[in-house]
Amino acid sequence: MSKVLLMGQSNVGKSVLFNRLAGARATVSNYPGTTVDFDKGRMRIEGQDVEIVDIPGSFSLEPKDRAEEVAVKMLEETKGATVVCVIDSSKVERGLYLALEIIEKRHSVIIALNMADVAKDANINVDAERLEEILGVPVVPMVATRGEGLKELVSRIREAVPVEIEGIIKNVGGKSGTSSHS
Amino acid sequence: MWEVKVERALTADERWDLVDKITKEVVKVGAYKPGLRDALASLTVNPWTGIPFAIAVLYGFWTFFGEFAGLFTDGFFVRIFGTHWIPWLSGALEGLPDWLFTILVGDRAVFAEDFVGDPCFAAGGVLTTGLFMPFAVVLWAVIALFLVLAILEDTGYLPRLAVLVDTVLHKIGLHGFAIVPTLVSLGCNVPGVTATRLLETRKQRFMMIALLGVFVPCGAQIGMMEELIPGLIGWVFLTLAIGYLGFGWVLNKIWPGESPEILMDVPPYRAPQWSNILRKTWSRTRHFLMVAVPFVLLGCAIVMVLYATGAMDTIASGLEGFLAAVFGVPADATASLVVGFLRKDLAIGLLPIDAMTNYQVFISVILLTIYFPCLATFAMLLRELNWKEILATLGFLIVTIFVFGGILHLIGLAGGWY
Repeated sequence: MSKVLLMGQSNVGKSVLFNRLAGARATVSNYPGTTVDFDKGRMRIEGQDVEIVDIPGSFSLEPKDRAEEVAVKMLEETKGATVVCVIDSSKVERGLYLALEIIEKRHSVIIALNMADVAKDANINVDAERLEEILGVPVVPMVATRGEGLKELVSRIREAVPVEIEGIIKNVGGKSGTSSHS
Repeated sequence: MWEVKVERALTADERWDLVDKITKEVVKVGAYKPGLRDALASLTVNPWTGIPFAIAVLYGFWTFFGEFAGLFTDGFFVRIFGTHWIPWLSGALEGLPDWLFTILVGDRAVFAEDFVGDPCFAAGGVLTTGLFMPFAVVLWAVIALFLVLAILEDTGYLPRLAVLVDTVLHKIGLHGFAIVPTLVSLGCNVPGVTATRLLETRKQRFMMIALLGVFVPCGAQIGMMEELIPGLIGWVFLTLAIGYLGFGWVLNKIWPGESPEILMDVPPYRAPQWSNILRKTWSRTRHFLMVAVPFVLLGCAIVMVLYATGAMDTIASGLEGFLAAVFGVPADATASLVVGFLRKDLAIGLLPIDAMTNYQVFISVILLTIYFPCLATFAMLLRELNWKEILATLGFLIVTIFVFGGILHLIGLAGGWY
């Protein structure tokens, strides 16, 4: 059975999304670090059973605490999985850092730009289409607590592919790091 | 071309550089007008306004807890059990042999004409007190506490409380975020222990778990205290808080390891979703019912068997001198200490409150709280700590009971309160 991992920083709504997708009842709170262990659930994508895993929030792939260790270990153990990177639309920078790390590890990634409502309230505008062009992976704006964008996310999970980090660097017109050890 | 496809990792700087370039193209930040949410956010974190606010919030929730639990317990279930269920059951099962009657219903003396006291607590049988305590008293207390905690969690207030208490908790080597496992433990110690995973170092986790297991009473215990000793509960909490901070300070000094600063993310305030709050309250309540009720029933059965066989008298007379000398507690409290291993709420319910002075009740309740953690919590300790830390926790527990109990005994003697 193929696997979908929900990853992202803490308190970006992974567990809310998990509950929505898997019809599960993971504990959800408004403070970072509510999920300290992983939860598994099931969902159907295009007629196929898929295992979906809610993973503790992690700032980066270098673990700082036990919950982050759980997250990193989970990612390493499931090489072929699709990773849904959940990003808080009002804090895109931080979410992108982790997303890039996961992309560099050659996982199939799809980005869920969650909390679109919060970003809008804060007058932050995120251009999802441009982000998709740059990264080369699907980017879906959503509000998981209200279920907005959920259908699009599910229908595009299959489009998640591994991409080259070099390609992303080229897309923003940079040469950052390309010169080193080649 | 001799390009080889390898997993190429950027350095952290290169990655941040790339993130910068991407966000410059993708994110547009417009002018931002601070609203009520922001005003509230700064009001609750600034110490001058935040501390009074925190006191008001916690007091409000405490009042709600007392009223809610009181409404169901005193207003409804005490009457159902006291005037209907227990008298009816004792009549219906009167023909049973003595030993069975004692285990199921309780001490026959409680049903004599001249008995004064509350049969709900005094009977002690599996079908009387064993059902009364979890369903009539404790259930409503834990529902109220879980509800309150869920609201605190979902609005985003907990991390702000953490910012406020950070200075104090840093003095004992813990991060402000330690308030989260502490408050969660007031509902139930089991998720409290799990919540310590968000602390960074092993030392902080060990300290937190040891302090939780020893000094933080759970919702079930609090419910029993609120029902049985409402006048003393403030003193109990104050004493436990002093113990928590004092022993935390000592542990921080003697246990090796670091207690670094942790950067903490404070999320924005959000309106809680009632469906989520109710779901959370329910799932925790269900866990309580499944874990606690069997142990309360088992505990009642064990105590009644010990009474019926006379074993309790033997244990009590063996412990009498010790209990009196070290803690100034009468031998009548033995039964309570015996079941304290199983369930502390039951243990508090079994204290012979009418036969003790206020100070003896106070010290007994404190002893029961810092006593061995309940079995479910102990199972969590085994899972989360290594053997060295488990031994240290048990050692800490024993030392605390004697030192803390002894000090309270001396204070009581000095004050002439016994």
